[in-house]
Amino acid sequence: MSEVGDLSIALAALVSAYGVVAALLGAGLRRADLQHSARNAVYALFLLLTVASVVLLWQLLARDFGNAYVASYTSRDLGFWYTVSAWWAGQAGSLLFWAWLLAGFAALVVWRQEAYRELMPWVIATVMGTSLFFTLLLALVSSPFARLPFPPADGQGLNPLLQNPGMFFHPPTQYLGYVGFTIPFAFAIAAMATKRLDDEWIRATRRWTLASWFFLSLGILFGMQWAYVELGWGGYWAWDPVENASLMPWLTGTAFLHSVMIQEKRDMLKVWNVVLIILTFSLSIFGTFLTRSGVLSSVHSFALSSLGPLFFAFIALVLIVSFALLAARLPWLKSESDLDSLVSREASFLFNNLLLVGAAFSVFLGTIFPLISEAVRGVKISVGAPFFNQVNVPIGLALLLVMGLCPLLAWRKASPANLSRNFLWPGALGLLAAVLMLVRGVRQPVAVAAFALCAFVTATILLDFHRGAMVRRRHGEPYPVALGRLVLRNRRRYGGYIVHLGVILLFAGMAGGAFRTEREAVLRQGQTVAINQYTLRYEGLSQYPTPSALVTAATLTVFNGAEPVAVLNPQRNIHRGHEEQPMTEVAIRSTLLEDLYVILAGIGEDGSANFRVIVNPLMMWMWIGGVLLSLGTVVAFWPERREALRARARYLVGAEA
Amino acid sequence: MRRAGPGLLLWLGGLAAVALLHPPHAHAADSAAVQAVVNQLATQFMCQCGCGLTLASCTHPVCGPRDRMLAEIRRLAQAGKTPAEITAVLVAQYGEAVLAAPPRRGLNLLAWWGPYAALLAGAVVILLLGAAWTRRPTPQAAPPSPLTPEERRLLEEELRKFDV
Repeated sequence: MSEVGDLSIALAALVSAYGVVAALLGAGLRRADLQHSARNAVYALFLLLTVASVVLLWQLLARDFGNAYVASYTSRDLGFWYTVSAWWAGQAGSLLFWAWLLAGFAALVVWRQEAYRELMPWVIATVMGTSLFFTLLLALVSSPFARLPFPPADGQGLNPLLQNPGMFFHPPTQYLGYVGFTIPFAFAIAAMATKRLDDEWIRATRRWTLASWFFLSLGILFGMQWAYVELGWGGYWAWDPVENASLMPWLTGTAFLHSVMIQEKRDMLKVWNVVLIILTFSLSIFGTFLTRSGVLSSVHSFALSSLGPLFFAFIALVLIVSFALLAARLPWLKSESDLDSLVSREASFLFNNLLLVGAAFSVFLGTIFPLISEAVRGVKISVGAPFFNQVNVPIGLALLLVMGLCPLLAWRKASPANLSRNFLWPGALGLLAAVLMLVRGVRQPVAVAAFALCAFVTATILLDFHRGAMVRRRHGEPYPVALGRLVLRNRRRYGGYIVHLGVILLFAGMAGGAFRTEREAVLRQGQTVAINQYTLRYEGLSQYPTPSALVTAATLTVFNGAEPVAVLNPQRNIHRGHEEQPMTEVAIRSTLLEDLYVILAGIGEDGSANFRVIVNPLMMWMWIGGVLLSLGTVVAFWPERREALRARARYLVGAEA
Repeated sequence: MRRAGPGLLLWLGGLAAVALLHPPHAHAADSAAVQAVVNQLATQFMCQCGCGLTLASCTHPVCGPRDRMLAEIRRLAQAGKTPAEITAVLVAQYGEAVLAAPPRRGLNLLAWWGPYAALLAGAVVILLLGAAWTRRPTPQAAPPSPLTPEERRLLEEELRKFDV
């Protein structure tokens, strides 16, 4: 079977190379047959990589330990779904997964977006060029089908950290996001190559961009959830290089999502949009590179290798080619219109973009700074959470402010009447929130600012929903119906606002971290530890085997005041094959107000146990925020036929007035 | 699920012994003040086990380097050292890389202030460009095709329905 997998990958690399050549020649010589052949090459690539993927999945499920990859990432006692997840658990498998997703997306583009006839050869050339890089890596450097001379009786098993439901969803969604940005990037390259630099390429890729952003957001959220429940340190974001690597394309992708609206509405920011998508794609590759290269140590690097220089060379090639093309096309990228006022929605989008890209830059600089320091000074330094928090919190707060200002400023030029009408009440509410917090003794300036801004932005959004619904109500619709139809008939706009509400909840959850409390205690049976309003009584230990691990679980009764409210069982598990690294399984009691998070940190000979107990306020808000963000993206994604017509109609009426 | 053979039972028994004999983290009666200093400094120093995270967020349930460093911080705090003095001791012992945030001097200032400098430069560019753009006379857009009264009425009706 491995031979079939190897052959499929080798052929996939050849087909990718052929696709690049055929598409470029087809475009250059205007040969329809070559262009058609390039399109077929995309389907062939997808087929070949599907065959390779099916072979790998088959070997994983059949426990073919003669395959080195299967022996490294599975074992006989591993459950079905975790065995499937081994596909992306290691380096070679995840590269195959990346390449397969890309081929699938490319096939979808070729199949569904045939109308973009002029752009398509260049889109294919770009996607196939990217595919060539990944398939060559698979064929020459990191094959998932390498054989062992002596197959072991059992495999090493999946890293216990990866045996969590979150890891079944986190890598695929993350990769869907990373890979998805290849498509808008390819269209941007095609637009530059063909000099078709109006908003055609942006309209063609709006849904690809939104879907990629959606999956990247989901990937990050699933990763946070996984870190929170599995890594057992009480947090969800440690500013680890791999976490940072996923945040950077998300930030630039978010900037791109916003700035394309300016190009669609006002025909401005053409160069900037191309720059943003080049950066987003390059940072997506950089993210894969950081995860897979091991150049920076990371808690998420489950595979180390010598792929670093190859990825680095590919990123350099992408940047050089893209920016050279951009420089050559600058004369065609002049804006058709100008900014009317610095107090307008367009201008606020510029500041939103500045902050998002500034945040991405600060994360990038912090992430690679240890390498810069070592290269320049020869001194190793660390750049960890305290640095990123201090540098990024002010940028985050500014972003929150702009998120409140941006949607309610008028296009072209906001009048004083517009400003007072839209911001008086939300501003007052934000101030009131700040005053209330100060009166109640909250003294953390960041938390006060964050919650005040959350109140302000929420008010601006709800006010907009309310006004829209009231307009419809005047036409005789009951208020709830008016509200529902308002959203359904302006999906892009109100979907975006729902996303903003989700982001506000995420910010509020993060700001809740300022009130985190923590206790550590060694308890004997019957002893208690108190934290905030909770008292935890240690009832004892139990120990039992599962198919893959020996579980040692502590039992704690949780009292809120005098009333027992929960029984928690934090665990320490010793997984078979990973005896040197016991795992903690935390116990969490979640409410809307706060999480009670208990870690079994150590076990004494005498049955005593060492507990870390943490109260994390507003954690649930973050996860609800994630759900809202996803829901809003789905609403915005849903096709809306009248959208283009309305934009045109608004323009005509505005011009006549 | 496979049947548990004698080998598995032996393995589990061995693991049970390892788990139970594993020593608890020592620290019974630390004062709240000392604990507060330890908690605070645990977020400021990198764990030396190679996890790339701070002592507070090291993900290893059993981590010798982390436990040794935390014990040392606790010992120094109990001896009355201030956080600054403890920091100096740890930097002397482990080097600058033990700090989770690089000290604000020399080349490190690039990391600390680079993002803000870039943001400031970007804001200045936006303001200058914005000012230039708003001053520039806007070329007259081609007049849109005139609307018939009926078209206009339909449009306004549509806009009233959907727009805000």
